[in-house]
Amino acid sequence: MIANSHVRAWRDLANVVAIVDVIPEKARGFAEGNKIDRWYTSVNEALEKCEFDIVDVCTPTFTHCEIAVEAMNNGKHVLCEKPIALTLEDADKMIKASERNKVKFMVAHCLRFWNEYRIVKESIDRGEIGEPRIARAYRYISFPLWGGWQREMEKSGGVLIDMGIHDLDYLRWIIGEVKEVYANGGILKSKGTDAHDYLHVLLKFEGEAIAFVESSWIHPKSHPFTYGLEVVGERGMLKFSRETSEVVQLWTEGGGETISPLKRDAISLEIEHFLNCIESGEEPLVTGLEARKSLEVALAAIRSVEEGRPVRLPLNGGSI
Amino acid sequence: MMNDPLKIGIVSFAHMHAWSYLRALSEIEEGELSAIFEEDPERRRALESRFPDIAIYSDLREMLAREKLDAVIITSENARHISHAREAMLRGLHIMVEKPITTRLEDADEILSLAEREDLIVQTAFPMRYHDATVIVRDLIERGSIGEILVITATNHGRYPGGWFGVKELSGGGAMMDHTVHTADLMRWYTGDEVKKVYAVRGRNIRENLEVDDIGLISLTFNGGVIGSIDCSWSRPSTYPIWGDVWLLVIGTKGCIYVDAFASRVESVIEGDRLRWKYSGADADKVMIRDFIRCVEEGRRPRADGFDGRQALEITLAAYKSVEGGGVVQLPLGK
Repeated sequence: MIANSHVRAWRDLANVVAIVDVIPEKARGFAEGNKIDRWYTSVNEALEKCEFDIVDVCTPTFTHCEIAVEAMNNGKHVLCEKPIALTLEDADKMIKASERNKVKFMVAHCLRFWNEYRIVKESIDRGEIGEPRIARAYRYISFPLWGGWQREMEKSGGVLIDMGIHDLDYLRWIIGEVKEVYANGGILKSKGTDAHDYLHVLLKFEGEAIAFVESSWIHPKSHPFTYGLEVVGERGMLKFSRETSEVVQLWTEGGGETISPLKRDAISLEIEHFLNCIESGEEPLVTGLEARKSLEVALAAIRSVEEGRPVRLPLNGGSI
Repeated sequence: MMNDPLKIGIVSFAHMHAWSYLRALSEIEEGELSAIFEEDPERRRALESRFPDIAIYSDLREMLAREKLDAVIITSENARHISHAREAMLRGLHIMVEKPITTRLEDADEILSLAEREDLIVQTAFPMRYHDATVIVRDLIERGSIGEILVITATNHGRYPGGWFGVKELSGGGAMMDHTVHTADLMRWYTGDEVKKVYAVRGRNIRENLEVDDIGLISLTFNGGVIGSIDCSWSRPSTYPIWGDVWLLVIGTKGCIYVDAFASRVESVIEGDRLRWKYSGADADKVMIRDFIRCVEEGRRPRADGFDGRQALEITLAAYKSVEGGGVVQLPLGK
């Protein structure tokens, strides 16, 4: 799913040499559709038969660690789709592989490159609202049907690790480290799945700020993907939502959609940033360690739901 | 056939809602303002100059003894509701009490038992049960438009109201005391269920010098499994274009409803002033006061009675208990 927007962005900025997908028809179809000459059904095969510098991992979350580590062990820089992994152990393996092989490793937490979220971050850094004291971030959509793997807790981590982690990572970026979380929700609506489909999380930060993060896969199918953010500090407030960002509306007999007027989307900026880091040698904005910390907050929230109590960070041993 | 208008007294203008209730009273025929109790000399002077024909007392007992009132509206400071309610009820008057009904559960229980014993109507001023937007939501839910309720997410943001709201002794607490009950009550009304578990967090205040809390987040679990949350923060800067919001997202098995009850507006920008939203929505206060009067006349249970006020207060007190180190608090609260 995310691979489409990644390939579009890569094609403007670099030379995409090969597509890998375990399903041959998908690999071929994707390669042909994007005018890419080669396609393979395993990373090993691509590593053997083809020369390239960077691997972009857009596979389901449960496969991230194995693919990323293999690529890094072969000297490739790796951009990995969020979340980094499903366990802190896997995240650590990936971080170590990047250090051992002296390659760049970045996790694609695209909100850090998303226009409105960046404007909020820059305003806070300039001190315009003072120190953030309370934030509210949400993401609403119907249950994802694009890949069966989201339905399995062991493969996707459920709504919070798969989707809500965007907001958790972003809030860590603008506010600081999380001290304690309490989460409420679980599997509220969806049948035939063991993955959480709704969670809200109350977060306490080291600096005594608090935040509310809400992640829903239980909205009706007709509901458009919706997100929003509000941050209030000592001196003021910053607020936006999808409705205030995607200001172009298209309505046809079949329905309506809203469109962002921005020429460069977050994915493109994120990929450009990663390329720049490889060239300059600078550390990427979202290192493996940063992504690991965001995963840790999400894992703590899931533990909170399971145990029905607030959970303090850091976690001792982190898996779902 | 019209009855004689009900004779109503207003007990204190400490809470600014008194002005709105007074305006509502002046626009309906079923009731009339007969007397005012106001202790504060400054507020009394302002009232005297605006209402030269209305008796204004600085002693509540004197007003209750002299005036032949049917009911009083109690809009004093939160912590004083109980003593004012007790005085009025012992005189046989029906009461409408500003929310939160009281600041302590035992006080709310005293009001409930007085109402029972004296056979009096107690209405908690929850105007959101009378607001056209939030009433439509209730109708949609009742009709099954969104199936079974799974989640209710709410915000009741506001600016800092100032004055005694920031004095714990009089307010009983800050934003959490002021802004939990409206949406907690709507959730109870929509689900027909009671809360089982409360967890809340309070951060470092936006306004550092305030002695009461000005931000808070609450997570609720109802007996039947519905999950709720309330952002009760006074997190709107003083320059915000309106006092605040009552916003809810209700998610059900078959759909969801959003309501932003005070978003109906005409935007007004005057040279030299900030942007203001002139509220253009429903007049909930008027509908509420009218219903209170009818309830008194017909001896009917109000849409939000004393018990509803008590239950919403209990959720608030559980949230305070949670932030004061109580973790996940189970309801009902022990004595």
